[in-house]
Amino acid sequence: MRSMNIKTVLSLVVGASLSLASVALGYDAGAVDNGGSISGSITFAGDAPEAVPIEATKDAKVCAKTQKYDESLVVGGNKGIKNVVVSISNISGGKGFGEVMPLDQKECVYTPHIVLTPAGSELEILNNDGILHNIHTYSEANPAFNQAQPKFKKKLKKKFDQPEYVKVTCDAHSWMSGWIVVMDHPYYAVTDGEGKFSLGDVPAGEYEVKIWHETLGETMQKVTVEAGSDASLAVELSQS
Amino acid sequence: MARREVDDEKKSYSGVFLFAVGLLLIGSVWSVWDDAVSRRPWKKYQAEFSMIAYNKTLAEIQAEEERLAAEPVYQEALTTLESAQADIMGGEGGQRLATLQTALAAAEIRTSDAENALRVVRSEIEAAWYEYDHAIQLEHATKDEKAHLDALQAEAAEREKVFLAEQSERDRIENEINEINARVIEAQEMLRTMNQQKDFLEQRIDNYVMRPVPGLVLPAIPAITQVVVPEFDRSNFDTPLARVDRCQSCHVGIDKRGFEDQPNPHKTHPQYDVLMTNHPPELFGCTSCHNGQGVATSSVDIAHGYVQFWEHPLLLGPKMEANCLSCHSDMQTVATQNATVGQHIARGEKLFMQLGCTGCHLVEGYGEVKKIGPYLRRVAAKSDPAWMVEWVTNPQEFRPHTRMPHFFFTEDQGRAVTAYLMKASMEEGQAWLDAHAEPEGIDPNNAELVQKGARLVNSLGCRACHGFNAEQTATMVGQNKNHAPNLARVAEKTNARWLYHWIKNPRDYAPNTAMPDLRLSDEEAQAIVSYLLTLKTEIERPDMRSELEDPDLILEGEGLVRQYGCHGCHDIPGMEREARIGVELTSFGEKSLAELFFGNRTDVPHTWEDWTYEKVKAPRGYATERIAQLMPWFNLSDEDILAVRVFLKSQTGHHVPERFTAHGDWTDTIVKGQRLVQYYNCTGCHVIEGGGGDVRSLYLDNPALAPPILTGQGKKVQPEWFYGFLKQPIPIRPWLELRMPTFHFANDEASGLVDYFNALSKLEIPYNYFDPSRTAPDMVHAGEVLMSEDYFACFSCHQQGDQKPEGPPDGWAPDLGLAKERLNPEWIVEWIKDPQALMPGTKMPTFYPGGPDDIFAGDEDKQMVAMRDYIMLLGIDDPFASMNGNGSSGIAAATVQETSQDDTATLVEESAPSADDAREAENTEATETNM
Repeated sequence: MRSMNIKTVLSLVVGASLSLASVALGYDAGAVDNGGSISGSITFAGDAPEAVPIEATKDAKVCAKTQKYDESLVVGGNKGIKNVVVSISNISGGKGFGEVMPLDQKECVYTPHIVLTPAGSELEILNNDGILHNIHTYSEANPAFNQAQPKFKKKLKKKFDQPEYVKVTCDAHSWMSGWIVVMDHPYYAVTDGEGKFSLGDVPAGEYEVKIWHETLGETMQKVTVEAGSDASLAVELSQS
Repeated sequence: MARREVDDEKKSYSGVFLFAVGLLLIGSVWSVWDDAVSRRPWKKYQAEFSMIAYNKTLAEIQAEEERLAAEPVYQEALTTLESAQADIMGGEGGQRLATLQTALAAAEIRTSDAENALRVVRSEIEAAWYEYDHAIQLEHATKDEKAHLDALQAEAAEREKVFLAEQSERDRIENEINEINARVIEAQEMLRTMNQQKDFLEQRIDNYVMRPVPGLVLPAIPAITQVVVPEFDRSNFDTPLARVDRCQSCHVGIDKRGFEDQPNPHKTHPQYDVLMTNHPPELFGCTSCHNGQGVATSSVDIAHGYVQFWEHPLLLGPKMEANCLSCHSDMQTVATQNATVGQHIARGEKLFMQLGCTGCHLVEGYGEVKKIGPYLRRVAAKSDPAWMVEWVTNPQEFRPHTRMPHFFFTEDQGRAVTAYLMKASMEEGQAWLDAHAEPEGIDPNNAELVQKGARLVNSLGCRACHGFNAEQTATMVGQNKNHAPNLARVAEKTNARWLYHWIKNPRDYAPNTAMPDLRLSDEEAQAIVSYLLTLKTEIERPDMRSELEDPDLILEGEGLVRQYGCHGCHDIPGMEREARIGVELTSFGEKSLAELFFGNRTDVPHTWEDWTYEKVKAPRGYATERIAQLMPWFNLSDEDILAVRVFLKSQTGHHVPERFTAHGDWTDTIVKGQRLVQYYNCTGCHVIEGGGGDVRSLYLDNPALAPPILTGQGKKVQPEWFYGFLKQPIPIRPWLELRMPTFHFANDEASGLVDYFNALSKLEIPYNYFDPSRTAPDMVHAGEVLMSEDYFACFSCHQQGDQKPEGPPDGWAPDLGLAKERLNPEWIVEWIKDPQALMPGTKMPTFYPGGPDDIFAGDEDKQMVAMRDYIMLLGIDDPFASMNGNGSSGIAAATVQETSQDDTATLVEESAPSADDAREAENTEATETNM
């Protein structure tokens, strides 16, 4: 009798704290049965702009090993736009977070150009260039910082608590520019070189999908996901 | 019927007596009641407050009890105590303890007996010693005495043994008791600590109430609370008078935290931290800030001074700030540092100084404020006369937010004033024109040039002071006055020749102007003037030159200029000896209604406040047929008028004795410097003490491109360097397009500003040189290593004298070679520690925490100091050499030199210019010769 009581209390406590935690995060993570998916491509309206080469004016030994191009607007095959963030903006539960990529500073380029990181977790920032970089963030919801990463510090960890699109620059290498996208759920994706993306394991339902690009701005689309099938989404963005 | 004789003796007066006694009784009761209650209304408030405080404390005690009940540690301590006590009492421990305590009592007695016996023998020894010594002195035989003494000493040794044995037995028993009780004592101690807050509250509650019998709670007996501030006032015969305030007899909670949500008079003083903590009522009283009849207690109105003939009734609302200025002459700075207090008075004072009020009105303390209007001695070379007529007639029509007020001149009067100004400035204006040729390369029709000019005014920092279209605002004075002219229509008033030479060197035209020299190249000036010439509307103005040469008109104009006091704000030829035309306002705040002239106005309520509001709002409103009014219209918002009124209210002409004022060592320096900052609008670009930085709004996306923040500047830079920089600025931040202009400060202005920043940083000794003897070669070497490419790679961005970093200059950081002359050594460490804290948004990244582990075993503070030491010695070939020549001991000098040679060797190895080698060799030789 007594041991049962303890168990009951224990499960109540654990349950309560779990539900508290999920309230705090605003997102319930769990298994998704028979979910659908959203996939498609984001394309550019108008003529694809030519790639703008970057002149590495400093630390050329490292930074100019290979020719780099400006990544603020990259249009690839079939006019697909690279580096567009597609995310569901109204979702309160679904799959768990997958593996989180680190942000690498590789030959003075942020790789990937847009890194996605879950709110409240620590982002790994790597510097294997063997030179000084600094990570200067421009954010409002999260505290802005300007952290040096000297060559002896190959790995840094930074925590972002609030969902936000955070611009990152390096004051030592003025051409370096990237984005840290902080989300409180795992339903987001960055388009590939052909503008394609795919969001899997989406519970059936109606969603608002946000399409965000650093220079082309953002737009919202309504998408209905049915269980077990794929909802396709094609959006065209243009330079305003 | 016979008259009935009544015997007086038998007549009863008891009714009369009863009545009289009743009257006396009622009278007595009434007099006591009146004395104790009805004439002491404050008692009611005090009793109310006592009950409020009592209930509040009771609730706090309850909350504290609940907290303790829910506190596991507390409950555990309680249980521990109980169980420990039970263990002792219940088990063998209890019996043992009882036995021990009996034994202890016995042992105590034995110990003290033994001690006493020892003492007796010891005093006998004293006596025996005396006898023995005396015998020696008298040269008697000493045998007996010696024997007696020895016997006593032997006895003492014996008794001491006994005593020590008893004592240790007693201690043993005591220890055993403590051991048994250990858990109880520990738990009791713990509970005592945790009960502290509760005990405190329970003690406090007795201050508020009496509890004669359980269940009966009565408020504590009320008493007058009186503060005497000695020698605060002066009588009419200039003898010192004490200020007596009894305000806290009703406002009991005013100096107690925790009653913020109570209604008046029970409430805690608002803004407690600033207003109460810094102004304790026991030192300053209440009426020193609030006014009112502090000594009165007989009614609320009387105490607040709302009675006839009481000159200083309670100040309410923003006017409460009027008295701030009596003690804080640096109110501008105080209000910037504390954004929640004194905002009206500070704004009113600023408006008063910056709108030119001091040009016409003398106010003690503001006599030296600079004239704010443009220099008119050469205006004939600058302005189009037709434009000027329009401007003089109604300046706000041309520039809605100009500081120039509206004088309600008729157009004829406007023509007359212009005629005089043109005539008076003709000679000097012509001379100036002769010396300044028509510039070349200006073309308002060249779109490219105009665009370049437009870009330059945005990037150089002109926007900190000027707007370039009607919508752009820059630094404002009050709500709707521009600090510097909005240039939206500048091309209508002047010409290319004047503009070009003016922006190239403003002081060449107007020696006292606040407009700085931006060190423009000819090409830049040409582009900017080309752009400025496009800023106009299509209004065509006639050529009025000949019309304005009419001598009668000029004469009339001269009269008007003199009458309306234009010289109060402008430097005008022929008006050098004119005085201020307005009344002195030094004690305006004290003016009685009889002294205020309401003219024919019946709609204005007869109060000081309404009179003043109307005077500023509609300055000619009190004019009558016989009494003209000259004051111009400033077109201020009601909020600005309120601020000006608060300032005027503060002008009482009275002086608070020095010891009550907040006049510190720095105050005068701060006031003087602040006025310079205001005049030159330093805060248009820079944030100082958290205020200003208007131009930053253009750099919200990237604050690193905004002008540097100067809060804490006094701690940052060395005074000589700063002085030199203010006199002749050099670019320090190569990435900024903005340009620190040259203000051509006079010596006293530049040193006034340096002193100002030092005063704001409260620097006792501003000079802070770096002395190489404060460091050691290993520190410098570590600093060098830390800053090298392998570690922080500082020179990846920082310039170092002639050695420039890679890449374009906009990616560079300040020259560290300048640091030893420019920066305060202490500041460098603070800066390395957390650059973002000192200058939010800076390009300088944060390195700490996160220093390398292999230098000074990861001691980060030492690492920062090492870098500082290295920076401060940068560019000095052999910093430790001079120490050798200064007479330090030979060995020490040799060691130092040896290491320093090693150190320099590393330097040379890395930078490896051969010239350095040669110099190094020379230095060593020279030092050796010196030795």
